[in-house]
Amino acid sequence: MRETRLWSLHILVIPIIAVLLGMHFAVMHYAPVFYGMSVEKAREFSTMIERGKSVSQFVIYMLLLVASLYHGLYGLRGILRELPLTPRLVKVVDIGILLFGLFIFALGTYVTWWTFNFGG
Amino acid sequence: MSAKTTTPREIIFRVRRFDPDTDTVPHWDEFRMHVHDGMTVLEALHQLKAEQTPNLAYRSSCRMGVCGSCGMFVNDLPMLACQTQVLHLGTDVVTVAPLPNYPNVKDLVPNLEPLIQKHAAIKPFIIFTNQEEIDEPTGEFIQTPEERESISQFTHCIKCGLCLAACPTVATDPQFLGPQALAQAYRYSADNRDCGLKERLVALDAFHGPYQCHMAGACSQACPKGVDPAFAIQLLKRTLVLDSIGFGKKKSKLAKVMPLADVVKQIEEFAPPPRTAK
Repeated sequence: MRETRLWSLHILVIPIIAVLLGMHFAVMHYAPVFYGMSVEKAREFSTMIERGKSVSQFVIYMLLLVASLYHGLYGLRGILRELPLTPRLVKVVDIGILLFGLFIFALGTYVTWWTFNFGG
Repeated sequence: MSAKTTTPREIIFRVRRFDPDTDTVPHWDEFRMHVHDGMTVLEALHQLKAEQTPNLAYRSSCRMGVCGSCGMFVNDLPMLACQTQVLHLGTDVVTVAPLPNYPNVKDLVPNLEPLIQKHAAIKPFIIFTNQEEIDEPTGEFIQTPEERESISQFTHCIKCGLCLAACPTVATDPQFLGPQALAQAYRYSADNRDCGLKERLVALDAFHGPYQCHMAGACSQACPKGVDPAFAIQLLKRTLVLDSIGFGKKKSKLAKVMPLADVVKQIEEFAPPPRTAK
């Protein structure tokens, strides 16, 4: 993919992350304000499993996973590729980051899917 | 010419020296000389060369900030030696070194090859692809004052290379195209007569293109001609993003050909009235 598209996408996900992270904060850290629930209660395993069963939670966390993974790993690629690398190492960095991203995505998807379908 | 209003002041010049024939690493030499008000670093170097160190190597030509030859690292900042007055630096010790981020040829002479190569890579000329119009011109290509103004400041680049010397990204990633080439890429791509963005994409739409810029803005501070390359890079990003989603410049808008008959009509309209004998 052309670098312009990769970069544009990395900028485009910033507002998405901001909104979704705001939702995450509202649920996890500001539960007393938004849900009338203590923070301790909001962080309990059983509460999380219960919450994870809702479609909206599933969608929010999947989107947050994709957006933050892409944004973070694109930034990491930028930092690593500024090092004086040989063309071979550049390929290793690109492919390594892609594989690492896919692995984390698979792991995150598994946890979110398990919570949504079978949790509790 | 400025009047010599103050008594000459003694200044210590620390000059970085390097002779590839005899030195393996650069070293610093110190020279003392009396500097008068209005004396530039370049004039001081001329005087040092004439009186104290005849083998000192540095580049210079026009002595008035036009040719861009005398770019140097004066007191750890990239400057044109001909435009920098010694006493304005406000220090008793003035360090002069070759521009960083370039290989060093000798003493204060940098090898500007990277600048030239990057400049050439972005095809710094107007690219016109209408072969029919090239073969059989039908009229004039118009550029309105507004269109000219939108790229005007970027046309002032004198290729002195100070911006690349100031750029922190070039310091860590020598492959980064750098502010000079990117500003020129914008200057030509934004020109209403140009249709060469696609040809420039090979160099621009790559990792070492404009997206590598850290937006430090050091290039714009260093430019002796008032060009703002950091701003040009942001404009270039916008141009590239719009182009990638199909909102780029359309060819039909580029080739603004004014029929010759209209040119003649315009000339006639604005022509002064014929002189009459008194």
